Amino acid sequence: MSLLEVRQLTAGYGPVEVLHGIDLDVEQGEMVVILGANGAGKTTTMRAVSGMIPRSGSVMFDGVDITKTNAEKLVGMGIAHVPQGRGTFPDLTVLDNLRVGAYSRSADISGDIERWFEVFPRLAERRDQRAGSLSGGEQQMLAIARALMSHPKLLLCDEPSLGLAPLITQEVFEVLKKLNNDEGLSVLLVEQNANLALKVAKRVYLLETGSVVASGPAAEIASDDAIRKAYLGA
Amino acid sequence: MWKIHEGSARHWMIRLLGVAVLAFVVVWIPTQMSSSRIGQVTDAFILMIAAMSLNLVLGFTGQISIGHSAFFGVGGYTAAILIKDHGWSPGYTFYVAAVVAFVVGCVVALPALRIRGIYLALVTLAVAVLFPTLVRWKKLAWLTEGSMGIDSVRYEDVPVWPILGELKGREGRAVFMFWLGLIIVIVTYLVCRGIVKSRFGRALVAIRDNETAAAVMGVNLTTTKVLVFGVSAALCALAGVLSTLKSGVITPDGQYVTLLGSIVFLLVMIVGGAGTLWGPIVGGLVYVLLDNTTRDIGTNDSGILGTLFGWADQSPATLILGLVLVIIMFAAPYGLVGLAKRLSRKVVVVIPRPAGTAKPS
Amino acid sequence: MERFFQYLFDGLSLGSIYALLALGLVVVFRGTGHLNFAQGEMAMICTFVVWQFNDWGIPLVVSIILGMIVGFALGAGVEATIIRGVAKKSQAGVFVVSIALFLGLNSLAAMVWGNLPPEQLPGLFPDEPDDFQRIFGAVWRYEYIGVLAVALLLMGLLFLLFAKTKFGLAMRAVASNPESARLAGIPTGIVLASSWGIAGAMGALSGTLWGGIVGELNAGLMFTVFIYASAAATLGGFDSPGGAVVAGLAIGVGEQFLAGYFPGWIGQEMKLSAALLTIFVVLLIKPSGLFGSTKVERV
Repeated sequence: MSLLEVRQLTAGYGPVEVLHGIDLDVEQGEMVVILGANGAGKTTTMRAVSGMIPRSGSVMFDGVDITKTNAEKLVGMGIAHVPQGRGTFPDLTVLDNLRVGAYSRSADISGDIERWFEVFPRLAERRDQRAGSLSGGEQQMLAIARALMSHPKLLLCDEPSLGLAPLITQEVFEVLKKLNNDEGLSVLLVEQNANLALKVAKRVYLLETGSVVASGPAAEIASDDAIRKAYLGA
Repeated sequence: MWKIHEGSARHWMIRLLGVAVLAFVVVWIPTQMSSSRIGQVTDAFILMIAAMSLNLVLGFTGQISIGHSAFFGVGGYTAAILIKDHGWSPGYTFYVAAVVAFVVGCVVALPALRIRGIYLALVTLAVAVLFPTLVRWKKLAWLTEGSMGIDSVRYEDVPVWPILGELKGREGRAVFMFWLGLIIVIVTYLVCRGIVKSRFGRALVAIRDNETAAAVMGVNLTTTKVLVFGVSAALCALAGVLSTLKSGVITPDGQYVTLLGSIVFLLVMIVGGAGTLWGPIVGGLVYVLLDNTTRDIGTNDSGILGTLFGWADQSPATLILGLVLVIIMFAAPYGLVGLAKRLSRKVVVVIPRPAGTAKPS
Repeated sequence: MERFFQYLFDGLSLGSIYALLALGLVVVFRGTGHLNFAQGEMAMICTFVVWQFNDWGIPLVVSIILGMIVGFALGAGVEATIIRGVAKKSQAGVFVVSIALFLGLNSLAAMVWGNLPPEQLPGLFPDEPDDFQRIFGAVWRYEYIGVLAVALLLMGLLFLLFAKTKFGLAMRAVASNPESARLAGIPTGIVLASSWGIAGAMGALSGTLWGGIVGELNAGLMFTVFIYASAAATLGGFDSPGGAVVAGLAIGVGEQFLAGYFPGWIGQEMKLSAALLTIFVVLLIKPSGLFGSTKVERV
């Protein structure tokens, strides 16, 4: 049984249907990436999985049907979502951002905070600074750290490279890779930068106008000439 | 569903039918209704004019104003002072009131160049609060007659219109005010329509939708915002003049001179449909209708409503008005005209002319 | 000097009431981005509720606490049932609904308590003619001292709630980024309803304090206070609770000075206008208030 099992997922905004029946799986400890052009429905998929928008079809998480569960509850069940364009709280300090991340838990969190400060030393230096005053890369790291504060089993990460310099992007991806390898954290990633994503991900879904048009192991997709030409721009 | 092409014979038939019905109603009201009913329709006209003027600023340009009651007051006071103290004929006071209000409006618009959103809302609210206090101020009493207000504004030169019977006495005055109101409603509508459909109107909508983009596209924000505020204030002053002429009185506590007036104008505009030409007109009618039907509830102890509200110390009219407003906002969040458009689209669809084939204007 | 201290002290005391109501406006605005026009009327009706409880024989302090609970329930209920539904559809609709609430609550108060003899709300503090202390030559009435103390105490508690509790953290998070707050597992619906509730409870207290000073209750009780409070929220910056408090106190003091030192030109009847004009000028220099952030431009 997969950790996340999505079947025939349809969702959209108001009367407009964006996703037309998507099947998608994420295994325990797996890093999966969703690729696709602008407007293919990548972000919508993420938002539908985490319950931010109304959806139909079936979404199973850890053996539980979560199709009808709303976003606020999913965090407690183990899904953390880092939305596109930095999911930080700009008016709150770095420390408070992390505290908000642990809102769904009642345990002592000071150990966790220290731990993420070790992983992201730059955040530690700025712990009392407003998140809005951080650089783009720092904000992205804060958003990820904030999401991890809830001890998720699955991390949804929506275009972490958006608006970041290549070097910073590298850094963010290395952290994700490390979490995936060392901690066994399952990750579902949406990414525009296909070459980078294919290097870290195990499996790939290719989205086109709201439907999955291809899927398979990252290595296979990366070596498929037709797909490379059509989607990966190389 | 019925599809028709814009500009086709059928489309013109529908338009013609609409105009005919409208014309019938407009003639039927002053000739067949009691003079108090006619007066209520004139009240609706006054609201329509004020709401249309507000619509220009808020509905089309996106600049909030809770200060239009002040422009209304400027108009009303200008007319009262000119007629009573200087013996002017009422007709000319419209022009002077419009000019005075235009200047005041342009001055009030200056902060709008820097201040936006909720802060602008509060600045204009301050204008609405300031106006009645200024009028009441003892240092200005020589002009405004202080908190007593100006009453018995009389004028005798009511013209004789033979087709409509003699315009004499109370009934005659009611009919006269009706026609005068209607004329100003039409003038205001045409001015608004002319502005909205013009190049200037497109600049307004551009400012509403995205100010930065509008500036980049070459819209001069300063002149546009100040001008539209001035024109809006001038139109609103016409409503004020009309109100003074109708009642012969204007006081700082007058119905639409205080902050409450601004609020009513906003309600009328939003309930009718902000950003639509017909919204304020529909809103004005509905508001006056609502106001007059709810006013008597509970005061006479009969019927269901009587038993329901007989215990109350005061009439529940305003409470019911509030409830109806909430219901309207749930059912028609974009106003009654918005709702009507949505519903009528299920019956009739007007297919617009393909681009480029429109007649040159 | 004696006059100076008198105006200063009276101003602080009245200003603390404006600040309380302004804080309610700011809490609501930060949470949902709406200007609650009914804030003053909610406070007014809660003041009548306090009076009613007290009239039934319940001690005044208990009545006030009950009134604040009613205020909380009223605010939270209104947000959850009416505001949220309309806000989903149109922002202009929220404006109309808050006006409708304003009209409805005002009418309701007049319906229920309209024909009673002028309601006397007993002051919370001794207010006999000789209940005062002279400090720096100024008359410090116990009632005014009490109002200032109670208002400052409640504001202090509120700031503790914001800064030190998990719920306060959640409120700040929702104000900063509602979408990410949901993703972090914060029940945003409850937080927003509570913001309105807190505003309602603070309104109840400000109404009762003001009613105690005025001595007579009627449906128009809070109208002027609401104008002062919205002026305070504007001057302080609509997303800054600290700004609302500072501005509320400043407006209270400022109007006393203006009215006191210029009795001929400004005096009692023009002090509100003079205060508003001053704010007008301040806004021209700082368009988003003294302590507000510039991002607040929506209505």
